[in-house]
Amino acid sequence: MHSRRSFLQKTALGTAGLSLLGPSLITEAAAGPARLTILHTNDMHSRIEPFPESAPQWAGLGGMARREALIDSVRRQEPNVLLLDSGDIWQGTPYFNFFQGELEYKLMSRMKYDASTFGNHDFDNGLGGLQKQLPNAGFPFLIANYDFGGTPLAGRFQPYKVFEKGGARIGVFGLGIELQGLVADKNFGATQYLDPVTVAKAQVQQLRQNERCDMVICLSHLGYKYEGEKIDDRKLAAQVGGIDLILGGHTHTFMPAPEPITGPQGHITLINQVGWSGINLGRIDYELRRGARPVRAVGSLVLPVGATC
Amino acid sequence: MRLLRPAAAGLFTLLLATACQRGPLQATAHLPATSTSQPVGRDIAPNAGADAIIKPYHDKVLAQMQEVLGVAPVALSKEPGENLIVNFVADLQRTAAAQALHQPIALGVMTNGGMRSPLPAGPITLGNVFELMPFENELVVVDAPGPVVQQLFNYAAPVRMAVSGATYTVGSDKRPQNILIGGQPFDPAKTYPIAISDYLAGGGDNMTFLRGVPERDTGLLLRSAIADHIRALTKAGQPVTAKIEGRVK
Repeated sequence: MHSRRSFLQKTALGTAGLSLLGPSLITEAAAGPARLTILHTNDMHSRIEPFPESAPQWAGLGGMARREALIDSVRRQEPNVLLLDSGDIWQGTPYFNFFQGELEYKLMSRMKYDASTFGNHDFDNGLGGLQKQLPNAGFPFLIANYDFGGTPLAGRFQPYKVFEKGGARIGVFGLGIELQGLVADKNFGATQYLDPVTVAKAQVQQLRQNERCDMVICLSHLGYKYEGEKIDDRKLAAQVGGIDLILGGHTHTFMPAPEPITGPQGHITLINQVGWSGINLGRIDYELRRGARPVRAVGSLVLPVGATC
Repeated sequence: MRLLRPAAAGLFTLLLATACQRGPLQATAHLPATSTSQPVGRDIAPNAGADAIIKPYHDKVLAQMQEVLGVAPVALSKEPGENLIVNFVADLQRTAAAQALHQPIALGVMTNGGMRSPLPAGPITLGNVFELMPFENELVVVDAPGPVVQQLFNYAAPVRMAVSGATYTVGSDKRPQNILIGGQPFDPAKTYPIAISDYLAGGGDNMTFLRGVPERDTGLLLRSAIADHIRALTKAGQPVTAKIEGRVK
């Protein structure tokens, strides 16, 4: 069985194009493909309500009650949804000034966010302000490259979490931007920033080898793209192999489609970011196809296909 | 499309290796033809439960934004050169910083660009102050050595920007002349404390000459300092006013 499948795959690869590859594997699959729907936001910046109709830009767009309705409608149609956020939940409207982020966390909890990471503005009320609101967040903050040791938040956050959806193990880890110079010193205190590339390589190793994940997603607040040396999502994807999807933030980039980046060993990483203020909800649908071999098989791949390809 | 082709070509080898050595699992991204971003727009009916949770918060925000802090007999607006709103805010920055640090602050700086909206004539609400100062800037004091202060006036003169605590004359070469600080001639050998936003102190609005200058925190959000100053004026029975008093000649 195994050798026959391998033979068919090799044949398909040797003689046919991408369009034949998928179907040849479908016929091999013991079980039908499962679907995984990734929904994501970044830089919502306390935009609880839609932009006012009088706003010079984005008038009438966004709003968390509408976002919840949209997410609910997707959940009614899709069995396997992961709802993720890439940080900067806070700062930007009086809701944050008056209620210190309480309402943002409560509404995200209602929407059943699976995880978020930290943006620089999530430190705007200091470590104490963050700590105070954590009980309102019914979802974890994943952050692999901030060391909170020696701060009041020591031990409060995990670097990653593994989600089981549609029979697949999906590892999600978080990366934050360098806080020095961006956040007032007193607001991040003794928090140590660790090199994202080194940390991401270790996270991928942990998730692929030890956690046997089929898919690895990075929640990043590094930013999409900078001139010069400053680390960004594109450089991260090029330098770290094994990340399937980077859901980015910080630069408020409206990407019309995810961008594929070829990293080490030819691994393809997709990068996506959906602007800011909850104007858009990002959605990427995956089809999970598994063969007759045990679920513990860990081969994982992102094939960017579809009408635009 | 142009981007995806070479990427897809690279996938073939990876799939082969992966499938043969480690067993098959594929996560295939299906990207829609138009965009992966779903607009959260007017055509989506809001979730009623979420709306109900937001409502009391909304009402509180609205009520607080409508709080009348004081009354302005005339609008404090922003014109090129010396103007009412910049004089008003730069002056109160000095006052607030002096109170916070328990020492006189010689200079106060605010740019036209930092003032996002005028304060209208009539009742001034907290909402007006948010519109004036939507940023989360903090009030800080930079202790600027003489040469940095000279650069500040070099920056100010071509746009005839007023500096609280000082007067100067703009020469025909657009350079500052006759700089008086607290009524005394500017002394390049002295260090002058400047009450300013942390944004400008960090080099914002091209004030790059302020980068690296020693900075002291006041612990005050600039917006709160403005609102509290107006409240204090009202409590003292005073209106919200400022004067064009020839800070730039």
